Amino acid sequence: MTESNPSPHRSAPVDHSATIKASLKRRYRAERRFRWYGRAAIAFGLAAVLVLFVDIISKGHGAFKTTHIAVPIHYDLDSLGIDSINDNQQLALANWDALFKSGMRQLLPEASGRSQRRELYRLISNGAGYDLKDRLQANPQLVGQRERIWLLADDDIDTYFKSLRDGEPYTARVSDQQIAWIDQLYASGDIATRWNRNFFTRGDSREPEQAGIWGAVMGSLFTLVITFALSFPIGVAAAIYLEEFAPRNRFTDFIEININNLAAVPSIIFGLLGLAIFINFFQVPRSIPLLGGLVLTLMTLPTIIITSRAAIKAVPPSIREAALGMGASKHQMVLHHVLPLAMPGMLTGAIIGMAQALGETAPLLMIGMVAFIVDIPGGFSDPATVLPVQIFLWADSPERAFVEKTSAAIMVLLAFLIAMNTTAVWIRKRLERRW
Amino acid sequence: MDKLKFENHIASVFDEELEEIRNDLMAMGGQVEQQLTDAVQAICEADSQLAEQVIQRDHRVDEMELEIDEACVLVIARRQPAASDLRLVVAVTRAVADLERIGDEAKKIAKHALELTESGPSPMGYSEVRHLAQSVSQILRNALDSFARFDADTALATMQEDKKIDMEYKTALRELVTYMMEDPRSISRVINILWVVRSLERIGDHAKNLCEQVVFVVKGKDIRHRNGQ
Amino acid sequence: MANDNERPIPGASVGEQFQDNARMSMRNVNIFYGEKQAIFDVSLDIGQNQVMAMIGPSGCGKSTFLRSLNRMNDTIEGCRVEGQIAMDGQNLYDEKLDVVELRARVGMVFQKPNPFPKSIYDNVAYGPKIHGLAESRVDLDEMVESSLRKASLWNEVKDRLHQPGTGLSGGQQQRLCIARAIAVNPEVILMDEPCSALDPIATAKIEELIEELSENFTIAIVTHSMQQAARVSHRTAYFHLGRLIEVNPTEQVFTMPEHELTEGYITGRFG
Repeated sequence: MTESNPSPHRSAPVDHSATIKASLKRRYRAERRFRWYGRAAIAFGLAAVLVLFVDIISKGHGAFKTTHIAVPIHYDLDSLGIDSINDNQQLALANWDALFKSGMRQLLPEASGRSQRRELYRLISNGAGYDLKDRLQANPQLVGQRERIWLLADDDIDTYFKSLRDGEPYTARVSDQQIAWIDQLYASGDIATRWNRNFFTRGDSREPEQAGIWGAVMGSLFTLVITFALSFPIGVAAAIYLEEFAPRNRFTDFIEININNLAAVPSIIFGLLGLAIFINFFQVPRSIPLLGGLVLTLMTLPTIIITSRAAIKAVPPSIREAALGMGASKHQMVLHHVLPLAMPGMLTGAIIGMAQALGETAPLLMIGMVAFIVDIPGGFSDPATVLPVQIFLWADSPERAFVEKTSAAIMVLLAFLIAMNTTAVWIRKRLERRW
Repeated sequence: MDKLKFENHIASVFDEELEEIRNDLMAMGGQVEQQLTDAVQAICEADSQLAEQVIQRDHRVDEMELEIDEACVLVIARRQPAASDLRLVVAVTRAVADLERIGDEAKKIAKHALELTESGPSPMGYSEVRHLAQSVSQILRNALDSFARFDADTALATMQEDKKIDMEYKTALRELVTYMMEDPRSISRVINILWVVRSLERIGDHAKNLCEQVVFVVKGKDIRHRNGQ
Repeated sequence: MANDNERPIPGASVGEQFQDNARMSMRNVNIFYGEKQAIFDVSLDIGQNQVMAMIGPSGCGKSTFLRSLNRMNDTIEGCRVEGQIAMDGQNLYDEKLDVVELRARVGMVFQKPNPFPKSIYDNVAYGPKIHGLAESRVDLDEMVESSLRKASLWNEVKDRLHQPGTGLSGGQQQRLCIARAIAVNPEVILMDEPCSALDPIATAKIEELIEELSENFTIAIVTHSMQQAARVSHRTAYFHLGRLIEVNPTEQVFTMPEHELTEGYITGRFG
């Protein structure tokens, strides 16, 4: 027998504890510093969000209330210049403004002369006549009756009246006479800010006090429904094919690179694409949610495909092996096991994609969804605009009253986004299974 | 497999443990060999002091048996030896039992030596004892050697030697019977010698068992209770 | 004394490669991953109701070989199998043989317990369901129960059949996987290091189970634990660098291996 292996090198233990102790302080300090960097980053982020919210809310909260003036109205067919309220033709031609004009004269009788009277009438929104028409049509029994009704004030009056509280009244667009009248009305309690129902129920308008967000909300909703209905199934199917079935070769590599590149393409390019293909070639009418949905689908697809592939990849191979080992065919494996496990991740991708689509403006500008549309869209093929475009339009408008509307619209957009994400997170929580 | 190796384990401590077991076994073998030589010398030279020493030293052999056995049990428990390692450990536990029995026989011889010295000096039967003891010592030395070197050929040859011992034993018996017939007064004395001769023969058998264990370690074949081959 | 590494590895395996009652027989099997050859010329029989253990150092190809027995290697791109692997005389790599059918006949249990994230019941019922083995709900219930009983799991889970299988302990999960595999009543069960993720008690239970299963099934098991191979198997095959070095009855391999590489591996002086 030869002698056994030389025993492993065992040097005498050296006492390192002093060295280690000395370095400990430094290491802990580095760790603390690092932690503070992180906290600072988060604090910065939170501060930014806070500033954004405070700014938007402080600017926009006013839009939820708007100035109204209480006007005594006499529903008198004579002053309307008609003899029946059942004749639609007569109703359309009736002088509805006369109703509130006489009411205003009654309210502030000291106004005399044509110019004074015109200023007096300008206190009230020029849409007030239509409101009265709607009211009378809905309640025909009011004919010949009198009532005191809160009518919408004009946007300049609204801006001035709201600015009174700030101590720096914005008087640029009101006359001294009007200011005097407003003071008088305020003293008698006939002018007040009331809940702005119009904002949530109406479409866009040139008159700020009559403009509402609902048209844009519905436009966004229809557009997103189309986007989701197209991009999610297509994206998931593409992801599954690429991840599970496609052979690995140059062609699929090429496709993969292209999908990744598409995700980075500026969104306005998709708008141009939509313009060229859908409008010019397929003759899809412009400005409709269907078209918007198609264009946003193009834009969202890469995001959904990439995240879905990542979700599919994250399904543990052991589950696939188990299924294959049991004799499941490939499509059974995918359908029974991979897809259910990847679904939460795919939904996350879809949420991100939808959130992007919801906030997207540029491509929609290219396909005519920037049009001024007063009617609330009732379907996928009605001309519509969407929330971010509405915000863009309002931000662009010269009337001062649109400033708070813009902020309010941003709040609505954020609320929409939060609601959407909450729903998605809730669905994902329900689907999520551990393995 | 021509050469057995008990080193180069990934766990070097295992190497050391096996090495220690083997060294201890060899030490015990040496101790037992010494006991046998001393016991026989005590008879031949009527040295009662030496005989006493042999009797006293026997407990040392017993201790060694316990120590080695325990080491083997520990190796089995800790290392789960397999194949050649397993065979080595098993063979060692069996071998220490044989060595301990050889030690016991040496102690018996020493006891008879004491009785013989008490009954006065007489050369009768000593030549047979000396002769047989020489052969037995040789065979024991060969057995231990083959164990140390894991040499199955020597072991097998040594086993053949044991047959020679059996022959010598029978011859010695006949001689001793003749002494008793010639001189009935010597019967009690010769019976002591007879026991000594008998012990020597048993030692030869145990040495043969050691050789069987060597074959087991090297060839993996258990040749106990098998004649021939 | 020459180092083991320097000695050439012989082309031919030693030991009793062939069996009279062979259930699966492999002849001159070569397996390639692209250009790289993982298995070299392995010929081996697995006998009826036998437990065949495959041992060897990491990367010796034993898992690759095992996975070729139910064509799980098909899922790996670039993997190519040459030679003949036959079960009951039928070549598994025959073009006409359907791999789905094959996997119903040769079940597999994996290293890491991998129950589906479904209920215990659904896990076991999955195989019978996809292969259409159960004619009615009652039928299926029976299959599930008998499989769980055979896997010695019934008593532990009968009250919570509809709770998720992933909620079980590691050992129970592995037995659930075994129950799932035997639910389709395969002829051969392949086990790829089934106990490597389990504690000793769970391991003992699986080993006990393998012993019982060998009455009805033919089992091939890859294991890193030589003691486990010694405990559960009837025959042991030792793989080294993609070659089958030795295959012999287990008791012989662990007391008196024929080949010195086997000896070196099982005595822990592999080098």
